[in-house]
Amino acid sequence: MLSFILRRLLVIIPMALVVVTLTWGLIRVAPGNFYTAEKKLPPAVEATIRKKYGLDKPWYTQYGIMMSNIIRGDFGDSLKYQGQSVNEIIWRHLPYSATIGILGYLLALLLGLSAGTVAALRQNSSFDYGSMGLAMLGLSIPNFVLGPLFVLIFSFWFYLLPPARWNGISSLILPVCTLAGIYAAYIARLTRAGMLEVMRSDYIRTARAKGLSDWSVLLRHAIRGGLIPVVSFTGPALAALLAGTVVVEKVFAIPGLGNVFIQAVFNRDEPLILGVVAFLSIMIMVFNLIVDVTYGFLDPRIRYE
Amino acid sequence: MLRHRIGRMRNAFALFAIGVLLSACTPPGGGRYFGKTVAPTDNVLRYVSGSEPETLDPHVSSGQPEARVYMALYEGLVEYGPKDLQPIPAIAQSWEISADVDEFVFHLRDNAKFSDGTPITANDFVYSFRRGFAPATISSSTELGFFIKYAEGFNTGQVFVRKGDSFLLARDFKGEEKLGSTIGPESAFHTFQHSPTRLMLDGDEKKRAKQLDADPKLKAAVDGAEFVPVKGEDIGVEAIDDHTLRITLRQSAPFFVGLLAHQFFRVVPRQAIDKWGKDWTKPKNIVSSGPFRLKEHRPYDALVLEKDPNYWDAANVHLDGIALYPIEENSTILNLYKAGSIDAFLNHSVVTSWIGEVKNYKDEYLNFPEGSTAYYSMNIRKAPFDNVKVRKAFAMAVDRVALSNFRIITKPLYDITPAGIFPAYDKAREKISEEVRKERGVPPEEWAKNNKFDADGARKMLTDAGFPVEKSGDGFVCPTFPTDTVSLMFNTNESNKSVAEFVQAQWKQNLGVTVPLKSQEFKTFLKDRHEVNYTGFAQSLWSGDYMDPYTFISLHYGYPNNGDSGFNDPKFNKMLDDANAELDATKRFEMLARAEFYLMEQQPSVPLTTNATNWMKKPYVKGMYPNPGTLLPWKFVYIERDPAKWDTDVENILSHSDPQVDKQLQDLMSTQKAAAK
Repeated sequence: MLSFILRRLLVIIPMALVVVTLTWGLIRVAPGNFYTAEKKLPPAVEATIRKKYGLDKPWYTQYGIMMSNIIRGDFGDSLKYQGQSVNEIIWRHLPYSATIGILGYLLALLLGLSAGTVAALRQNSSFDYGSMGLAMLGLSIPNFVLGPLFVLIFSFWFYLLPPARWNGISSLILPVCTLAGIYAAYIARLTRAGMLEVMRSDYIRTARAKGLSDWSVLLRHAIRGGLIPVVSFTGPALAALLAGTVVVEKVFAIPGLGNVFIQAVFNRDEPLILGVVAFLSIMIMVFNLIVDVTYGFLDPRIRYE
Repeated sequence: MLRHRIGRMRNAFALFAIGVLLSACTPPGGGRYFGKTVAPTDNVLRYVSGSEPETLDPHVSSGQPEARVYMALYEGLVEYGPKDLQPIPAIAQSWEISADVDEFVFHLRDNAKFSDGTPITANDFVYSFRRGFAPATISSSTELGFFIKYAEGFNTGQVFVRKGDSFLLARDFKGEEKLGSTIGPESAFHTFQHSPTRLMLDGDEKKRAKQLDADPKLKAAVDGAEFVPVKGEDIGVEAIDDHTLRITLRQSAPFFVGLLAHQFFRVVPRQAIDKWGKDWTKPKNIVSSGPFRLKEHRPYDALVLEKDPNYWDAANVHLDGIALYPIEENSTILNLYKAGSIDAFLNHSVVTSWIGEVKNYKDEYLNFPEGSTAYYSMNIRKAPFDNVKVRKAFAMAVDRVALSNFRIITKPLYDITPAGIFPAYDKAREKISEEVRKERGVPPEEWAKNNKFDADGARKMLTDAGFPVEKSGDGFVCPTFPTDTVSLMFNTNESNKSVAEFVQAQWKQNLGVTVPLKSQEFKTFLKDRHEVNYTGFAQSLWSGDYMDPYTFISLHYGYPNNGDSGFNDPKFNKMLDDANAELDATKRFEMLARAEFYLMEQQPSVPLTTNATNWMKKPYVKGMYPNPGTLLPWKFVYIERDPAKWDTDVENILSHSDPQVDKQLQDLMSTQKAAAK
């Protein structure tokens, strides 16, 4: 088990570097530069910029310099936001995205797990149809519709909650609910499917045959197996949530990482893009590792070689 | 899987439709005002300022969202007037102008201070100007200041040519030079500035060699000479004493004082920059010179400013602070406004679908012509648009009135310079148009069509150009026109797309030509447009940098230029130079109008619309005006708590008198008026 974790951890670094390299290549292929603006720069000024940022060097030298800096954990300064380092920017904006991301996911888990489980246990009941219908609806409504819909109802019909900006707990409710909407729907469906399968499996029949009560069958045996699809969904979902959800951050004007990342791409802010991409890829790999480890606890049949 | 997807999409559409319906049914905020309208209690204005400022260093960024931030934090010699953007005294309490409008002496007030209490002197301005032009500063606004003598040479790394004890002079190689007039006391530096202009060559050895190879006379003269880089100390800015600053230009520029309100010319703190280097704008280090100072900066969330007690005119700064929110999502901005969480927001921010609703709020919605134009550049170097008749045909075939109605708030544009922004220039333009008509003996009714929408004329023009337009059913076709090689390029954005589709339909309807649309990501698009790497049309938008028509007409001046059409015409350049050398304002405008007329005859672009300000403010926010640049001198802004005195009927806000603003403006202007006498 330990060696499995170690092996996987060791792969993460080279994988992240590969992702960074590919991203770097993509940025370089994209036309335009961080200094391209509506107004043309005098050629001499452009030459000064290229020299200052080493863009006049051959591409392999630039790549070498970039890589050696990144390996030392130094992504350098943002090209667009002068005097701000990439690390500083990521750590400054991560907490915003992480807060709404984690809260949103917890809410989604709460709603999704309970709805999914109950629906599976009462298959073909009106609750099952109702909740799964709602889940289908949740899956179908994109964030950019759900968010404004919430704003319309809660900010302008009932004047209960602020329509946007990061300003106290009340301002978190709408973005968190918007985020939770789509994830809760996914989780509910996954849980229901997982639970249905598990409830029909042999070991559950055995447990029942031993005379265990419905509750202990559910809580001690069924739930662990039924959760596996949800757990594998959680890894990438959490990583994506931590890295920021662009739409929700835009609609609610939240200064999160997603917003920053999108702007960085539009600005061709190479160091910042690379920094966020590296951070994001490491997060995804770490979460996937955690997910894989969790399987072992949920299902004793899974072994780590 | 496919079915599943289709099902989901159908669901999404249905819900989206419900959402749209729901928002359409929203009650209009309950009465006279749009949403919650309660003046804030803490005397702090909450303003949405657009994109996150890229830096707090006013020399670096040329952006408009940044300009509004810089106007609070930094002050220059002059400030924009709140209603018309004409220069008003700021750190300079008065100024004198030489007879040829090519030299200026500014008298600085003696009580101006930085936010750290250090007095602001003429030397700080000399430092600031030199720093702005220094290549290492990497400013994107330097071109605005190239009128200052040797500034272009310094900024672009050129060299003087020294032979023995003297420098080679430009007039020996580039023709006559008329030395301008002088003003202020004599000094060694001034003698240098007022000597014939030195010859400047490219600082880059390879480029210089090319330059010399092309000109044998120059090459022979340069042989054995020494190349001396143009330095910051050479540019035409001089501190005569602590409170007197002299600026020398390389040519007359009647609009120069107005230009000085631009962020690029605002004063920056040498003491902080020397001490902190590139970190000087960090909140703990920053030192500012304007009416407000930085209190807190939370990037992408808020930039909080507070009144600076060290500011020389602090007694007349009415707000205790400003909270600037960097938000770009237009519907979010409108939501915040409606909920009463902000008091005003930046220009161009009401989404088109909401304009119909919002314009009913007569006390809040500000829709005024703006000093910015939308047009399609044409690449005049590539066939078929190298033919002026083809260009004319496409320009004539667009019904601008219909386009403006479709866009709701924009105004039709037929020239390079927008109408309605410079009234005196509009008059000059009319006069020149009439003169040309008489010169050519065209009857007035026919002349009225010149340059305007004229579908028949457009078809005839295109036919004359060798692409016959034929009638086909209800419409027209132009079978020989090479539509497969041309395109209309624009940057990806809903409103750009809808305009492009509209114009495309007009061409189809009136010329029978379907120009393919090409949507590109912004920077990709800009690169192609800047390099004139397109065939056909490229969308362009230009906001004036200062309040003079020259900021628009000069788009096609010199080469490379910002017109992005590949237009380069020495005759046109000379017309502009001559106009700027003219000291009589009316005559100068007429000469500029002639040049613009000449330019439009070449039709390097299809003018489309003059844009509108399109923003809102709560009625209790006073002293804030929809000027043509939405550049707000913050010290005039105040919050009025008495609803009886709130702004009403803002359509006429520019002619309404506000005693407080008028008095403040009069007091400021009095020093310059006294000096002028």
